[in-house]
Amino acid sequence: MKVKTYCYQCVAGPDLLTVEVRDGVATSVEPNFGASCVHPGGGKVCVKAYGLVQKLYNPSRVRSPMRRTNPKKGHDEDPGFVPISWDEAFETIAAKLNDVRARGLLDESGYPRVAASFGGGGTPQSYMGTLPAFLAAWGPMDMGFGSGQGVKCYHSEHLYGEFWHRGFTVSADTPSCDYNISCGANIEASGGVAGVWRHANARERGIKRVQVEPHLSVTGACSAEWVPIKPKTDAAFLFALAHCLLHEHPRERLDLEFLGGRTSAPYLVGPNGYYLRDPATRKPLLWDTRRGAAVPFDAPQAEPALEGGPYSVAAVEIGPDQDILAEGELSGETAFTKLAAHLKPYTPEWAQGISDVPAATIRRIAGEYLSHARVGATVEIDGALLPLRPVAVTLGKTVTNGWGGFECCWARTMISSLVGALEVPGGILGTTVRLNKPLGERLKSVRPGADGFMAYPLNPTDREHWSPSPNIRNAYRSMVPLAADGPWSQALGPTHFSWMFLDETPKGLPRVTLPEVWFVYRTNPAISFWDTDRVAEQMARFPFTVAFAYTRDETNHFADILLPDAVDLESTQLIRIGGSKFIEQFWEHEGFALRQPAVAPQGEARDFSDIATELARRVGLLEKYNAAINRGVAGVALKTEKWDFSLDPATPHPAERIWNAICRAASAELTDGAESQGLEWWREHGLRTRPFSRRDWYLYPTIVELGLRFELPYQERLLRVGKELGRRLHERDMRWWDAQLTEYQALPKWKDFPGLWETSLRAMGGEPDDFPYWLLTARSMQYAWGGNVGMQLIKEVADNVAGHRGVILNPRTAERLDVAEGDLVEIATPKASVRAHAVLRQGIRPDTLLLLGQFDHWATPFARDFEMPSMNKLVPMSLALTDATGSGADVVRVSLRRAA
Amino acid sequence: MSAGPKYGPKPWLQAHWDLRAATNFILGGTGSGLLVSVALTAHGTPGWKPFLALALALIAAGLGAVWLEIGRKLRAMHVFFNPFTSWMTRESFAALVVFTLGALALALGRPWLAQAAGLAALAFAFCQGRILLASKGIPAWRTPGVVALIVATSLAEGGGLFVGIKAALLATLPTPWLAVFALALVARAAAWSRYRARLAAGAPRTALESSGRILVYGGTAAPLALLALGLMLPPVAASADIVAGLAALVAGWRLKFVLLRRAAYNQGFSLPQLPVRGGH
Amino acid sequence: MTRWAMIADLRRCVGCQTCTAACKHTNATPPEVQWRRVLDMEVGEYPEVQRAFVPVGCMHCAEPPCMHVCPSTATRQRADGIVTIDYDLCIGCAYCAVACPYQARYKTDHPEFAYGEPMPSEEQRFDARRFGVATKCTFCSDRVDAGLAQGLVPGVDPEATPACVNSCIAKALHFGDAEDPASNISQLLAENQYFRMHEELGTEPGFYYLWDKRR
Repeated sequence: MKVKTYCYQCVAGPDLLTVEVRDGVATSVEPNFGASCVHPGGGKVCVKAYGLVQKLYNPSRVRSPMRRTNPKKGHDEDPGFVPISWDEAFETIAAKLNDVRARGLLDESGYPRVAASFGGGGTPQSYMGTLPAFLAAWGPMDMGFGSGQGVKCYHSEHLYGEFWHRGFTVSADTPSCDYNISCGANIEASGGVAGVWRHANARERGIKRVQVEPHLSVTGACSAEWVPIKPKTDAAFLFALAHCLLHEHPRERLDLEFLGGRTSAPYLVGPNGYYLRDPATRKPLLWDTRRGAAVPFDAPQAEPALEGGPYSVAAVEIGPDQDILAEGELSGETAFTKLAAHLKPYTPEWAQGISDVPAATIRRIAGEYLSHARVGATVEIDGALLPLRPVAVTLGKTVTNGWGGFECCWARTMISSLVGALEVPGGILGTTVRLNKPLGERLKSVRPGADGFMAYPLNPTDREHWSPSPNIRNAYRSMVPLAADGPWSQALGPTHFSWMFLDETPKGLPRVTLPEVWFVYRTNPAISFWDTDRVAEQMARFPFTVAFAYTRDETNHFADILLPDAVDLESTQLIRIGGSKFIEQFWEHEGFALRQPAVAPQGEARDFSDIATELARRVGLLEKYNAAINRGVAGVALKTEKWDFSLDPATPHPAERIWNAICRAASAELTDGAESQGLEWWREHGLRTRPFSRRDWYLYPTIVELGLRFELPYQERLLRVGKELGRRLHERDMRWWDAQLTEYQALPKWKDFPGLWETSLRAMGGEPDDFPYWLLTARSMQYAWGGNVGMQLIKEVADNVAGHRGVILNPRTAERLDVAEGDLVEIATPKASVRAHAVLRQGIRPDTLLLLGQFDHWATPFARDFEMPSMNKLVPMSLALTDATGSGADVVRVSLRRAA
Repeated sequence: MSAGPKYGPKPWLQAHWDLRAATNFILGGTGSGLLVSVALTAHGTPGWKPFLALALALIAAGLGAVWLEIGRKLRAMHVFFNPFTSWMTRESFAALVVFTLGALALALGRPWLAQAAGLAALAFAFCQGRILLASKGIPAWRTPGVVALIVATSLAEGGGLFVGIKAALLATLPTPWLAVFALALVARAAAWSRYRARLAAGAPRTALESSGRILVYGGTAAPLALLALGLMLPPVAASADIVAGLAALVAGWRLKFVLLRRAAYNQGFSLPQLPVRGGH
Repeated sequence: MTRWAMIADLRRCVGCQTCTAACKHTNATPPEVQWRRVLDMEVGEYPEVQRAFVPVGCMHCAEPPCMHVCPSTATRQRADGIVTIDYDLCIGCAYCAVACPYQARYKTDHPEFAYGEPMPSEEQRFDARRFGVATKCTFCSDRVDAGLAQGLVPGVDPEATPACVNSCIAKALHFGDAEDPASNISQLLAENQYFRMHEELGTEPGFYYLWDKRR
C-alpha cells in the first residue's frame, strides 16, 4: 500500500511523496509519480524525506508526555523527566494558561505573558495542525524569541524584497534565465527539488551561472564559473558591476524605457535629497522632455528625462515629519543622474582591492550580463506579451543579512532594473509575500500607495503614532519600520533582542521580562542561534516551558513539560501547494495536498490538532478556536457565500472531522463550489490542483495595470523613515540605535563591512592579526531544516559530501599550520573556542574556514556523538553587528591552530 | 567518529580481506615452497616425511585461516564450483591434489609421490599468484609480475624454512641444496625487481618499497652472504645457514603481509573528463 | 538483444545523495552499505578548482571481473547484461569485492541496524540470506522484470525503473536498453560526449557518464 503525503520540512517545499506500508509498517519512501505533471520537480522529493521512516521509528523518540522533576535548569542539570499521562500534562499546562488569562494576557511591561517559538521559516505550520487556530483564539502572544530564521538568513532580502517588488524571497526565473550572477546563493543545496530540477534543466539549455562565493559550494561546483570573493565584500562587487553598466557601456544598452516609465529613476531630487514635489498636489516631479517642463510623475504622455539637468523647478521639498525643507524655484537632478554620480567612484579597480575579484573579471561579468539581457526582447506568456530579460542576480544568506545586506539587496535590485530584468520573464522574481496581505498572494497584495509606488504597511514613524509599546520583547514594531505588523512580523524582527534584552533592556523600551509560559515546536534555538551557550543560559531562566518534543534536544532540555506530537507520517493536515511560494516553488498549478498517517502514532504521540483542540477546551477558548477554524485560520475558510462546511463552535471536534471539513472546503474552492470531496477522497488522491497562470509569476503586469512604478533606485521613502525614526528615538534619549539609523540612505554607500567584524573582534578583546580567518557556514541539503540530525540514514549518506565531518580549510593554510587531514584543530575567538577535524579542500580561500550546517549537539541522541562543532558557539549576539532591519550574519573572525 | 573518507574518491585500503586471508597466502605460500623443497630432496634423503607433513600443515593452516574469514563457512564446498574461470576454485583443486598426493606419500613412503605432491604445490602457489593478478580492484595485486613474485617467494620462503631447519639438524648441508636455495633467492629478487618496475600507476609505492628493500637486503643479499660465509667457514656454517633460512622466510612473510594488508589500496575513482556546467 | 545500462549526467548531478537514500530504502540495505552512492570529487588547485559529483555503484560490466573470479558461480550475468548474485550460492569469500575495480560490492557479516536494536521497518525487510555474502546494486532487476511482465518500459515507466533513477531530483540518472538505438539511453549517448570509469581495465562497464554535448 502506498500512502500519499507531502514533505515541507524545509522552505524549499512542499514536495510530494508516497510511503510504502507493508502490514502496518512504513518501509520506504518514493516520489509521487502521479504528481509529476504538476510538480516542478517531477513529483520527486529530496534526500531529507527519505529520513522520514527512521524519524517515525527512532527509538529515541519521546513516547509519552513527560514532566521535569529536577527544579534546577542548566546545561549540566539532568531534567529528570518522568512519564506522565496526557491528562496530567494538559491539566498542568491549562492551569498555567488559565492563571495567565485571569491576570491579563500582558504583563507589567506590556509584553505578552505567553511566548511561542516555531522557527523553521514557517514550515512548522505545515505540521502543527490546527494550532494556529488556538494561537488566534488566545490573543497576544510573543512569537519573537528567535532561533535564527530571518535574522541569520535572508533577512534583508525578506524585508527589502517585499518592499521593492513583493519578493519575500527572490529567485531567478530559472526556466527562462540565460545568465545568473549568484553571490553566495547556494541554490543547489538550498533550492530544494524545484530549484535543483530547474537549474539542471537550465544548464542543459546553456545557462551560464557565475558563482561568487568564498568557497566552492555545491552550487559553485555546478556553475560555469567560480569567483572566490572575500567574505562580506559582495556589495563592492555589485557596486562595481553597476558602475560598469552605467559608466562603461553606452546608455542605449540599458532598458531606458523601463527606467523612465516603471521606476523612480526620472524623479527629480532636490537639494536636501528628497523629491521635488508639485506644490499643489505634493506629487514627485519629473522633467517631461516633450513639454519641456516639470510635471507630476503620473502626467499623461510624459516623456521623462533620465538625465540632463540640473533642472530648475517650482517645487516644494518635504522632509521627515512633513517638514518643508525648501520651496520655490528649486534645482533638481534626476534620481538616475544621482545614481550614476553615486556609483562613479566604485570602479572595478576599487572593488578589486576590497573583494579580491580581479577588475577584469568584474568588467567581463558586467559585459556578459549586459549582452545576455536582451533589452527590448519580448515573449508571450499565457497570452500576454511581456518583456524578456533572461538575466538574474541572486544572493545567498550571509550576503542578505547583517551589515551590507541592504547594500547588496539594493545593488542587485537596482542592477536588475537598469536592464529591466525585474519581475519579468527571465529576470528576478519575488515569489511570495509574508509581510503584505493577503498572505502568500503577492499580486493581490499590490495596492497603489503614495508617489506612484506600491503601498507598504510600514510601522509608523510619525510623532503621533510611533511608540516603544505596545510591543513584544524584540521591539520590531518600534525599531524596524519595514517589518510591518502582520502575523509574521514578530518572527521577522530582531529576534535575538528577545534573548539579549533579558539581561538588560536598552533605554526607552519597556523592561524585557521573562515569558511566564513558553511553547516551542520544531525549533532548537540552543543549537541554531548565535552565542548558543548564552541562549541556553537564558532558557534556563524561563519559569515554565512546554516543548512539543520529538526526541530530547538542547532546547527541551530546559523544558518543564514535553509533549509528543504525532510526527510527519502519523498525522493529518491539508496545505496549499503550488501557485507561487518560497524559493523556486512557483508552479503552473495551484491547489492542495494532504498529509495523512501512514501508520498509527508511536507510543502515546497525538495528532497536533487534537492537542490544540484539547488545549482550547481546557482554557475556555473552544468557541473562539472553532470560530478561527471556520474562518480559515487552519488553511481554508469553511464558510463562504457559496458553501458552508463550518463546524459547530461549541463542540470539541476530533482531528479527522476538522480536516474532513477543511478538505471539503478545499475541494469546493478548487471547483468554485461544484465539488466537495472530503478526507476519504483526498486520502486516495493525495493532491488536487487547478491551473495557475505562468503570467502570475511576474509582478510586472500588475505594476503596469495599476500604473505604478518600482521604488528604485532612489530610496527617498526609506531616507525619510530613517530620519523620522531617528527623531522619535532621540526625543526619548534613545541613542543605542544610531549606528543602525545610518543604513537609511537614499543611495547606499559602501562601508568597510569586513572592518565591522574586525571592530567586533577588538570589542571582544582580540587583535585582527591574531584572528585572521573568516569562519563561514554553508547549507547541507541532507540535514537542513529537517531536524534530521538524529537520523542514522541521513548521517550515513551526508558523509559522502565533503565537510560533514570537520572544518573545511585550504591545504596551503593547513600546511602553514602543520595540520594534516583529519587532525584536530582549534578554532577560536577571544571569548570561545571549538574543535574540529581538518578537512582539506582546494575549493576554499586560504583565509576562509567553513563549518557546514549547525551541529555541536550535546543532548540530541545520535547527533551528540558527531564531533562536529558549530560556528554558532563562536558568534556573539551583538547590537553592533545588527543592521537596521534587525539582522546579523553568520560570520566571525577566528584563529586556527592544531589542537594540543 | 573518524575524519577520513570512507568511500573515496581517493584510493583507500581495502577492508574485505584481513589478516585471515593474508595468512592463507603467507602460510600457504611457504608451505608449498617447503613441499617443493621436499620434492627436490626426497629421493636422496631419509627423514623427508616430517617436512612433508609440516608443509601440508602450513598449507592447511592457511586454508583454515581463510575459511575463518568467509561469511558462509558451512558452504565452503561451493568454492569448487567454478574451475572454468576462478583461480580460487583452481587453488582449491590444487590444494586437494596436494593433500591427496601428500597423504599418499606419507602413507606409502614413496619419494615419487612426494615429488608429485611438490608439483601440485607449485601449481598451488601459481594459483595463489593468479588469484591476486585477477583482483582488478587492487592495483598492487593486478600488476603483471605478481604471479612470478608470489611463486618465487614461496620457493624462497619454503626453501629458507627447509634450509634453516635442516641446518639445525645437520651440521653441514649439501652444496647443491644451498645452490638451489641461493637460486631461489636470486629468482625472488629478480621477480621483485620486475614486479616493482611494472607496478601500476596509483599503487602505493612507499609501503611496498620498504618491504622490498628488506627483501633485497635482508632477504636476499644477507642470506647469500651468510651462505657464502658458511661455505668458507664451516664452523659457522650451521648458524649461518639457520639465520640465512630464517631471514629469507621472514623477508618473504613481510613482503606478503605488506602486499596484502598495507599496500592493498584500491584505485579509487577518476574522471578522464570534467563536466561542462552550462554555457560558456 | 537487450543490454540494460545506466547513464549519469555529470552536468546535472548535485551530489545530494537522494539516490543513495532511495536505493537504501528500496533495497533495505544495512547501515553503511550503499549500493548506489555519489562521490564528491575535487580536481585542481586553488583557485583553479573544479568539483564534480559522481554517482557510482555496480557497473554491470560486459566483462565483469567479479564473475570471472567468483569460485561458487554465485555471481552470474544475465543475457540482458545485469550481473547478479545468488545469495544462496555465495560463500562470502569477498574475492569478488577485491576484484571489482569500482568498489561496488559489500559484505555484511552480522545483522546491523541503524540504532542498535532493529526498528519495525528493519524487521519487516530483514533478509537473513543477505548476511555473510556479497551484495551489490542489482539495477533493481526485480522491478525491471516485474515491469516488463506488465508491458512497461524500464527507464520510462517508474514502476519498471531502478529506484535511484526514479528518485533523482536533477534528472541526472537514466536507465534503458543500450542495444536499442531508439531508447532514451542510446539517444543520450548519441547526443552527448561520455566516458566510462576505469575503461582501460577492459571491464566494458554498463554505466556511462555524460560530460558535454556533442559539438
